[in-house]
Amino acid sequence: MASNPMTQFEVYKIGPELKFGGFDLSFTNSSLFMVLSTLIILGFLHFSTSNKKIIPDKIQLISEMLYNFIAKMISDTAGSKAKPYFPFIFSLFTFVLMCNMIGMLPYSFTVTSHIIVTMIMALFIFIAVTVIGFFKHGAKYLSIFVPSGVPMVLLPLITVIEIISYLSRPISLSVRLFANMMAGHTMLKVFGSFVLSLGIVGGWLPLTFSVALTGLEILVAFLQAYVFAILTCIYLNDALNLHH
Amino acid sequence: MRILVFILVFLIAKINLIAAEAGMPQLDKTYWLSQAFWLVLVFSLLYFCINNIFLPKIKNNLSNREKKIKDNLEEAKLLKDNASQKKQEYINALEDGKKSVQKIISEAKKKLNQDIESKKEDIEKKIQDEINNANKEIKYLKTNSILTINKIAEDLSSKIIEDISGDKLNESSIKATVSEISKNKLKEYLS
Repeated sequence: MASNPMTQFEVYKIGPELKFGGFDLSFTNSSLFMVLSTLIILGFLHFSTSNKKIIPDKIQLISEMLYNFIAKMISDTAGSKAKPYFPFIFSLFTFVLMCNMIGMLPYSFTVTSHIIVTMIMALFIFIAVTVIGFFKHGAKYLSIFVPSGVPMVLLPLITVIEIISYLSRPISLSVRLFANMMAGHTMLKVFGSFVLSLGIVGGWLPLTFSVALTGLEILVAFLQAYVFAILTCIYLNDALNLHH
Repeated sequence: MRILVFILVFLIAKINLIAAEAGMPQLDKTYWLSQAFWLVLVFSLLYFCINNIFLPKIKNNLSNREKKIKDNLEEAKLLKDNASQKKQEYINALEDGKKSVQKIISEAKKKLNQDIESKKEDIEKKIQDEINNANKEIKYLKTNSILTINKIAEDLSSKIIEDISGDKLNESSIKATVSEISKNKLKEYLS
């Protein structure tokens, strides 16, 4: 009766199989929703910037608010040195946000609920930040592992902890987004199936939960995109401005 | 309340049951490479478009607006300054006008006063002249009339004396007598 709540995360092939040197690069439903998210973002940006007005209309205002929101987020967390990375953070935030939001539609697929997707983004950010850090500061970047003002006795322990926490950044970043998305969607699915299994008599309670959870999940979808972007900014800040 | 708790327990049991029997499609490695490939491709495209097309547009528009606002504010300030200057000029002109009007009025008053004064003096002079003339005439007439009266009196008295006595008297004595009498009488008359 209740379908498996994990089937919504299944990836299946759409169209012909694309194989390059033994690697399967077929177009899947995941790819479809990535492309869809990107097209929606680009379409929105296109329409909101097509007729530039001094006094903006609603859609133009939304894009400008988005711009200012992300610009403020970057300048607050990473300072003015992070300006060259603004387009990347903007793309990252809009992409994650749009994937999360599209995932909230029934029968759609949530791209960010897959660990491989979030892991690739997180790994890219991690590697890029590390490269930027070493590029800007050279070997001095290693001082990020040695916080100042720590007693000499505790220093070895703290340094080890710092190294572990630094190396676990991509994992925490990717798992946070993936787990939030997967858990939310699983929960929604489970409550949805409860409505069916309990029927007209007892189904009202899980339905209420389901409605409330949908609201919560929309919030989580935004929040996780925001958290993903702001953590990226914080990591960038560590690489650009050595505070320790 | 009991029913609610029962339903909740039932739901939780069911969640556990389902989670146990369900595998995670996320850990199925069949399409990992495909997802990674498409993610990189699509995200690169998105980044390229945003970086090269849309962000410059938005930035341009925002800075244009800022510039426009700044320009407008500057223009407004300029206009305000102009307006206050013009106002000051107006006030100055008004004050100048008042001053000149006062000057004109005081000058006119002065002139008028002078005019009046001179006219008055003229008229007074004329009146004085008239009075003097009249006095002279009166004086002349007075003396003249006395002489005429004396003459008449002399003639009359000599004639009367001639008629009465038939003798002609010395004219000079008559004259002296008449003049003496008339002197006495005139004194009474004139005093």
